[in-house]
Amino acid sequence: MAYETSEFRNGLKVEIEGNPYSIVYFQFVKPGKGTAFTRTKLKNLLTGAVIERTYRTGEILAEADVEEQPMQFLYEQQGTYTFMNTESYEQVEIPGKVLGDDRVFLMENLEVSVLFYKGRAVNVTLPNFIESKVAWTEPAVKGNTSNNITKAAKLECGAELQVPIFIKEGDLLKVDTREGGAYVSRL
Amino acid sequence: MRALREALWEQGFIELEPPLLVHGPALEANLEPVRAGDGYLHTSPEFALKRALAAGLPRIFAIVPCFRGEEHGAHHGAEFTMLELYLSNANYLDLIDVVEGLVGRAASAVGVAPPSFQRVTVAQLFAGEVPANDDDFYRHWVERIDPALVAPTWVLDYPSRQAALAEIRGPVAERLELYLGGLELGNGFSELGDGEELRARFAESAAQRVRMGREPHPVDEGVIEATSRLPRCAGIAIGMDRLVMALTGAGDIGDVRVPR
Repeated sequence: MAYETSEFRNGLKVEIEGNPYSIVYFQFVKPGKGTAFTRTKLKNLLTGAVIERTYRTGEILAEADVEEQPMQFLYEQQGTYTFMNTESYEQVEIPGKVLGDDRVFLMENLEVSVLFYKGRAVNVTLPNFIESKVAWTEPAVKGNTSNNITKAAKLECGAELQVPIFIKEGDLLKVDTREGGAYVSRL
Repeated sequence: MRALREALWEQGFIELEPPLLVHGPALEANLEPVRAGDGYLHTSPEFALKRALAAGLPRIFAIVPCFRGEEHGAHHGAEFTMLELYLSNANYLDLIDVVEGLVGRAASAVGVAPPSFQRVTVAQLFAGEVPANDDDFYRHWVERIDPALVAPTWVLDYPSRQAALAEIRGPVAERLELYLGGLELGNGFSELGDGEELRARFAESAAQRVRMGREPHPVDEGVIEATSRLPRCAGIAIGMDRLVMALTGAGDIGDVRVPR
């Protein structure tokens, strides 16, 4: 499969110079009296880096051999993370470096989306929000409300973040995974 | 629209209603006309208005829908509205005052401050190194120059091979384009006054169309004949949809038209 410029859509997965990209922006442009182009922004699915490219109308990009699969986290062993496809029940092992900093949010049975490129897992997308209990936090310091309105806490999943001072150990928190772990609310 | 018409009427311009259904839809190789009946829908009213100009009307304009195939996007519609005007005893630089006056009136009508325009030549935009072939020229334009044309700007003096229907003076065509709000609003010329030169440009365009694997545009004998009888004159076409977008900040051409 290949895509011509007129078929470009946001989210389309294409292969450029041996890397898979997702189209995140496209615009038809035609300078006065000139030839038509499609201006694009493309996100590298391996590195997350965004590049800008301009294609002449009629140019063709190959479809990237990528596939997204719904998976559930099972367990971690010596830096290798095992997931199970929630439809086929097939299991796959993913090295920790693919997960990067996101690994601190993994909990048993957490449902994620795993991106495969040429059959190899290259990216794991977490849900935007997860719920986890507070494993440890400093006790609130009475009277000290003017300077420190947040304090450090560690969740059962392993993530560390700043929480409001009224949070206690054992509280169930809703956390935004997209900004490296941001407190949303107490549940 | 009303403000523009009033401003043009005050300056002695006569409004014409050119035919939309034509036999010769365009000159430029990069325009795709839309077929209709045994002819085409026009891509601009240029050829018809030049017949009127050759017949002796010194100041004319039309505000008409135009049709261009294979152009779809936030800044392009297959159907759009164009203001085209012609001015006798004038060259392309004389268009600037007239058009700045019109844009100012339109701006006041929608309650925004009239923009003030800077002028720059194509050679200046390319820092003196204008690419020798159109492929490199347009790619560099799209990637580097067009995104930087944010301020209200007149771009002057295009390479002679991109003259379209403009008079050529040395290495450049007496052609200008108007940019406002980052949008290319219009294109104007010192109008070519030599019918045989126009015939040669039709032939050049046809050859280019064949190389592109496209059908050449039919030659419009009427406009060739009229061109030789033209007074010294200048003309410009301005996209009305984009003018409204530029003045109102609308991001998509679909937002300023009645839905299809």
